[in-house]
Parts: sequence; C-alpha cells; structure tokens
Amino acid sequence: MNADWTGGPDQLFEADEQRRETAQRFRDAEVPLIKLWTYYYGLGGDADEMSLDAYLNEALYLPATQVGLIATAMTELTAAEDE
Amino acid sequence: MTANEGPPHEPDGLAAAETDISLQRLVLESPDIMAFLVELTIVAASRLSKPGNSIHSGVTVIRNRKPQAVAASDAAATALDELQNGFGQGPCLTALRQKTTLLVPDLTAETRWGPYVRTAVEHGVSSILAVPLDLSGDADAVLNLYSGCSNGFSNEDVATAEAFARQAASSLRLILRISQLREARNDLSAAMQSRTVIDMAIGAIMAQSRCDRDTAFNILTRTSSARNVKLREVAAMVITAISGEQGITTHFDE
Repeated sequence: MNADWTGGPDQLFEADEQRRETAQRFRDAEVPLIKLWTYYYGLGGDADEMSLDAYLNEALYLPATQVGLIATAMTELTAAEDE
Repeated sequence: MTANEGPPHEPDGLAAAETDISLQRLVLESPDIMAFLVELTIVAASRLSKPGNSIHSGVTVIRNRKPQAVAASDAAATALDELQNGFGQGPCLTALRQKTTLLVPDLTAETRWGPYVRTAVEHGVSSILAVPLDLSGDADAVLNLYSGCSNGFSNEDVATAEAFARQAASSLRLILRISQLREARNDLSAAMQSRTVIDMAIGAIMAQSRCDRDTAFNILTRTSSARNVKLREVAAMVITAISGEQGITTHFDE
C-alpha cells in the first residue's frame, strides 16, 4: 500500500518530516514493532506489519489516514507504558 | 572398590538430571515469570546451603537499562540486591556486565566496589558468588548468592552454581517465550475488541455525515487528540450517542 501523492513537493516534504518524527518516537519508546502494530490494528489500521516496519524505517509512504493512526497508536501506547 | 559395585558413579550427571526435571516442573507450574524466579532462587539457595553456612539467593534483571532486583529466596537477599542496585556497582552487577562468574571469597579483603562492600559486610555478608544467566539476548540476568561465611563457596559450589545457572537459563528462556506469546495473544484480543468499536463508530460517522472512511477516521482522531481521550473511548462515545448502547466498552474494564 503506497500513498498517491498528487500534492506536489511541499506536501511530500511535510510527509517526510512527519515520518521522521514518528520513527524517532518509535525508536525512543523502545516498543517492540509487533506491539505497536497490534495496537495500531486495534485502532482500525489497515497496513500490515511489514509495511509499518518499512514506514518506520523511512522506506515507504503510507496514506494520511494510516499515518494518523500510527501516530495515535504511538501516543496512546507510550501513555499507557508511563502509567 | 570392587567390580560388583555396578556402573561408574556419576554424581554430577545425576544431580543435573534431577535439577532439569525440577526446573521443568517449575516452568509448567509457575503462574508467571516472577513466581518462577522466586522458586528458582529458593532452589538455588537450598542446593548450596550447608549446615552452618546458609546461602541467600537473588536474581537481578536489567530492565529499561536499569538493574532491578526481581526475585529472592528471602528478605535478606532482596535487601542485598537492592543495596547493590542502589549503589549502582557491586560484584553481581560486574558479573552481569562482563557475563562471567565472579567470586568474592572474602568481602573484608575486597578492595573493589568500596561503598557497597562495606555496607554488605555490615549486613553480615562475607562472601558473594555471582553467576550470569545466559539468555541469548532475550534479556540480561544474574544469579546472586550470598554467604555469611568467608570462603563460603568451595570450587565445587562454584561448579554446581554454574551448572545450575546454565539449566536455569534455558528454563528462563522458555518461560520468557511463553509469557511473550501470552502477552501477544492478550494484546491481539484487546486489539480485536477495540477495532470492533472503532469500526462501528466509523460506519456510524460515515452514515451520519455522508462522508468516506478516511474523513470519518480524520474526525475521530482529531476529536481524540483535541480532547486527549483515547480513540476507542471517543468511538464508544459516538456509539453511545447514536444508539444509547454502552455495553461495548465494558470488556476493557477487566
């Protein structure tokens, strides 16, 4: 699953930035990939584990909705760990 | 020694086999890793204790880069482990980092780990044996053994402790694997429950707002982050608002 980019270079730059930030948060949190994927799936996520891995390693773009769900999953998962 | 004494005696092999069976039973009977480790330290302490030289045993595990005293055969061992972790240095932590057995035969003659060693002596400890548990990268753990006697561990004791630690490590890896699988299964069933509620809410929003799925997700995630409420709780609120149904979330309160 890859995003259809019609928004031009500015939007691509923004997506890069967001992806880098989410990837950094993922590394800092030291959450196992499968845990993040399971949580993201529970939020209604559609991408498979390998696509998520590729996204977090900045090798794949995902549609905006999936990106939003990954970010939400990261936030909720780290908040739960801190409790 | 005469010929009719039967086959050559192998005390180590026999003891090792017995340990193996009792550790297997521990893996099967322990409700969780913690209970397993506590039993493990009790077995280790009783195997090495002799009349006049009782051994206290504890296990320290590295968790989130910090050493934690997770289990012990008794309160004295817990206190000693925690003491060492508090100082951030000591023979058990050194053994853990170097991944080699470390024997301190006489604490009063020891010059390393100054502050910890002095406090341990005050607690009545005279010798310490630390044996790392090789978990092949799954985790880092060390078996800590304390004795009130100087030279409380003979060469034979060290060999016994090392053999025991090898067997304990493979049992520990097994129980780690089991609990990881159990956790994965629990996560997955929680995900199934959560996804049901969220999918339902997405459908409801699509119907009400006459929008596509992405837009519905967008509405849901924005509400969630604006109100700082979990996505599935927002979803549950949406369903409740529309149908009055509340039972869908009760599953998460267990």
